[in-house]
Amino acid sequence: MAITKIVEVPLVIAEIPIGPQHPALHEPVMLKVYADGEEVVKVEVNTGYNHRGIEKLCEKNTYYKDLFIIGRVCGICNTVHTNCYVRALEYLLGLEPSPRAKYLRVLAMELERVHSHMLVNATMAEVIGFESLFMQIMLDREKVMKAKEILTGARVMADYMIVGGVRRDIDDAKKERIKDLLLKLRPRVEYYKKVFEEDETIVKRLVNVGRLKPVDVTLHSLVGPIARASDIRTDVRAEDKYDAYGEIPFNVVTRKEGDSWARMMVRWDEVLESINISLYILDHLPSDGNAVPDEKRLPRIFPAGDSYARAEAPRGELTYYVMSDGKSMNPYRVKIRTPSFNNIINSAFMYIGHSLADVPVILTSLDPCISCMERVTVVDLKNNTRYRVTVRELASGKV
Amino acid sequence: MTRPKLIELVLKNLFSKPATVQFPYQKTDVEPDYRGIQYADLTKCTGCSLCAIECPAEAIKMIQIPPGYEGVNPLNKRMIYPLIDYGKCVYCYRCVKICPVNAFITTNKYDIAGASRPTSEELSLSTLKKVS
Repeated sequence: MAITKIVEVPLVIAEIPIGPQHPALHEPVMLKVYADGEEVVKVEVNTGYNHRGIEKLCEKNTYYKDLFIIGRVCGICNTVHTNCYVRALEYLLGLEPSPRAKYLRVLAMELERVHSHMLVNATMAEVIGFESLFMQIMLDREKVMKAKEILTGARVMADYMIVGGVRRDIDDAKKERIKDLLLKLRPRVEYYKKVFEEDETIVKRLVNVGRLKPVDVTLHSLVGPIARASDIRTDVRAEDKYDAYGEIPFNVVTRKEGDSWARMMVRWDEVLESINISLYILDHLPSDGNAVPDEKRLPRIFPAGDSYARAEAPRGELTYYVMSDGKSMNPYRVKIRTPSFNNIINSAFMYIGHSLADVPVILTSLDPCISCMERVTVVDLKNNTRYRVTVRELASGKV
Repeated sequence: MTRPKLIELVLKNLFSKPATVQFPYQKTDVEPDYRGIQYADLTKCTGCSLCAIECPAEAIKMIQIPPGYEGVNPLNKRMIYPLIDYGKCVYCYRCVKICPVNAFITTNKYDIAGASRPTSEELSLSTLKKVS
């Protein structure tokens, strides 16, 4: 029997804005959630609340001023950002830092990965309402912040990388202190990993929430621990072997589950892996070559050309494209693509079918870094054109 | 229902002293080479302005050394010195590293918040001898 009449049942779909300022979110992003009762049927990711025009600012400043501007793209992953930019500049110059400098760079980046992953795990505990665990993890995170302070001279803003090396060296006393702190931290991380595995509250809130199939990961270009939690073995450290990663033994952590819980567990395993890498570096730090180049003698003008560098930030693959015209002291173009840009903008499909209470959990499991990802490039695919938009047009939502 | 995993730790914390410190009454301990406030030693400074040119935060401005001070580097013909605005400074120490005569004195002092915006004026001028 053929269908003669289609009756449309009107459903009341509620539109619920989560963000840009919201207790469950730590950074300004807006998720426009359409819910049928408790079930999410559609999510729109709206960004643009934290755009600072850093790429344009880089074109207006010299290569070396950019080094410190780029460190401020994101506070949590500042050494990875500067490392990626510095390596792009080194490729332009054809310069190779000394082995000691390479090891020290990796040490700074791994300490940063430890504290970044601990922070997002603590945030996850807070989002699901487990405040005491949040405070405990943050308390133990202080150990690695102290280690970073000993190494770089500041807790967060390291400003550690420079073309041709690093900006300060470490002696044996500092090495021992960092080692001591990391050895104290390791049993704590193992304990928290166990808490995440066994605690009923965490398991109930995270397991089977926001499950990602490997095909969805590759289809939506998701990177970093999110891809690795869905059994996609991708890690720029292992693929490119930049800096000293080719000489340091480490494992790429993957899991098969693909849910929010697996993403957090991948991060805990990576913390343990990073602690092992750091301890290996402290034991095998080469003593040949000068790690700290004289900043006064570095070249001011870079040869004409362009270069492209990528690094594994705590959130995934980070890429920098630097273009030099060979005449000016400023770069002609600096293009940044951060992992959160892929992971957050392409993640709207993950929320569908889950309840409203799961939305912050899924978002936190993606480790959003909004300050990293705010870029504006308008590309009209139909007419194949690019154009600029004014802030007023952006604010009014006409674009 | 299993026993909450964290309960032992929570009970232990209930009877131990707090992990936080009462800042500013109690100072947090920082490393001796922590990147704190820095100022120019005017007996060494030549007034070349390289720090002001290189500062990524544009926190350094070159100003005249007021009259009534002696001991200024004789190479500093223009009698100028870098005045650092600590409110703008990002403590990257680019000025310290780029200075051709290593004139910057670094400290690990970090508590600079206050009602007025502090600058390096007083600290820099304290390196000179005041003549009455």
